[in-house]
Amino acid sequence: MAESWKQLVKRNLWTENQVVRQILGICSSLAVTNLMANSLVMGLGLTFVTALSGLTLSLLRNLIPRRIRMIVQTLVIAAYVILVDLIIKAALPDISKALGPYVALIITNCIIMGRAEAYAQKNPPVASMLDGFFAGIGYTLVLLLIALIREALGFGTIFGYNVNLLGLDTWTIMVMPPSAFFLIGILIWLVSNVQEKKKNPAGKPGPAKR
Amino acid sequence: MGGQKEGGGVKHDYLNTIVFILVLSLVFGGVLAGTNAWLRPRIVVNEQIAEKRAVLDAFGLDATGDAQAIAERFDSQIQTETQQDLAIYSWFDTNGSTKGYAVPFSGAGLWGTIRGYLAVSADLKTVLGLTFVEQNETPGLGGRIDEPAFKEQFRNLSIDLAQGFAYGDQLDAITGATSTSRAVLQILNGLLQQTLAEWEVA
Repeated sequence: MAESWKQLVKRNLWTENQVVRQILGICSSLAVTNLMANSLVMGLGLTFVTALSGLTLSLLRNLIPRRIRMIVQTLVIAAYVILVDLIIKAALPDISKALGPYVALIITNCIIMGRAEAYAQKNPPVASMLDGFFAGIGYTLVLLLIALIREALGFGTIFGYNVNLLGLDTWTIMVMPPSAFFLIGILIWLVSNVQEKKKNPAGKPGPAKR
Repeated sequence: MGGQKEGGGVKHDYLNTIVFILVLSLVFGGVLAGTNAWLRPRIVVNEQIAEKRAVLDAFGLDATGDAQAIAERFDSQIQTETQQDLAIYSWFDTNGSTKGYAVPFSGAGLWGTIRGYLAVSADLKTVLGLTFVEQNETPGLGGRIDEPAFKEQFRNLSIDLAQGFAYGDQLDAITGATSTSRAVLQILNGLLQQTLAEWEVA
C-alpha cells in the first residue's frame, strides 16, 4: 500500500471527501437527506457497493481491456446493487419497503464509478476495497450531518424521535430539496476555508495550487 | 492493453475483448440468477405476509406479530371473494356474517403506482380503514401518506358514494405534497364512484 491506513482514512473522510471536496454524489445528497434514517441506509448501501466493486474491479484490473473498462465497471456495480436489493428483500422486508426506489438508485451514484476509475483500476485489491469503504463512510457522514439539520428543523425530529420540545413551527422548506442546496453550499464553503487555512496559515486564502 | 503491438494485431484484441465481456457477463449473470432462484421463495412469502398484514390493518385488526401469527389470524377471519370481476377480501365475524370488505385500488401517484386496500363496512356506508401496499412517492413528503397521521383520518369516515372524499373539513392533505395528496383522493374517489357504486349489497 503506497499510503498508510491513516492517510487513506483522512483522505477519504476529509481532504478529498466525495461530497464536499469532489462534489460527487450530489443528486442523492439532495434527495434523501430530509430524514436521518433514509440517509443512513442510503449511505451504508453505497458504502457496501463501493467497497465490493472496488475489490472486484481491482482484482480484474490487469485483465480488463481498456476500451471497455467502463462497461465492465457498470456491469460489476449493477450486479452488486441487484444482489443487495435481493438480500434486503429476503432478509429485511420492512427496511426494503421503506427504501423503495433508493436501492436501485445506488447504481447511478457517481461516487462508485469515480472510485473505480480513479483508484481501483491502478491499486491492489485490499487497498481498493478500503478506499471504497471509506469513501462511502465519508459520504454517509456528510449525508447524516445535512439530514440532522434538515430533519430537526423540518420535522422537529431526529431519527423519528421528537426533539421539538418547545413546540416551535417547523420549516417546510427544510423538508424540500432546495434547502439541501443551501446547506451543502455552506458546508462546501466552510470545509474549503478550513482546509485552505491549514495549508496556508498566513491567513490569505491564496489561489489553490492544482 | 498492448494487443495491437503483438502478432495478432487489432483482430486479436477484439477477440480478447469479446471473450472477456462474454465470460464476465456469464459469471455475474449466473451469480445473480442463482441468488434470485435461492431467495425468490422467501421474497414471495414476505410479499404475501405484507399483503395479509395490509388487509388486516385496513380492517383495523391486529396486524402485529410474526409471519405465522399473521397467517393464522388472517385465515380465521378473512376470505377472498369476487365482486363484479374484482378479487376482494371479506371479513367475517364468528357467526359467519360479513362485517366488511377490503377492496384493492391502484392508480398513478406523482412518481409511480400507488397500490393499497380500502376497507369498507358491509353496507358500504363507513370506511373501516386504509392501507398502502406500494407507493414510490417522495420520501418525507408524499411518502407520508403511509404514516398513521394520514391514514388514520379515514377510519370511521362516512361514505357518500356519489360525492367521494374531499380535503377540507373532512380530511387534511399533506403539507408540501399537494400532487400526491390529490392523486390519492382521485384514486379513492374513482374507486367509490366507479366500482363500489355498481355493487349490489343487501
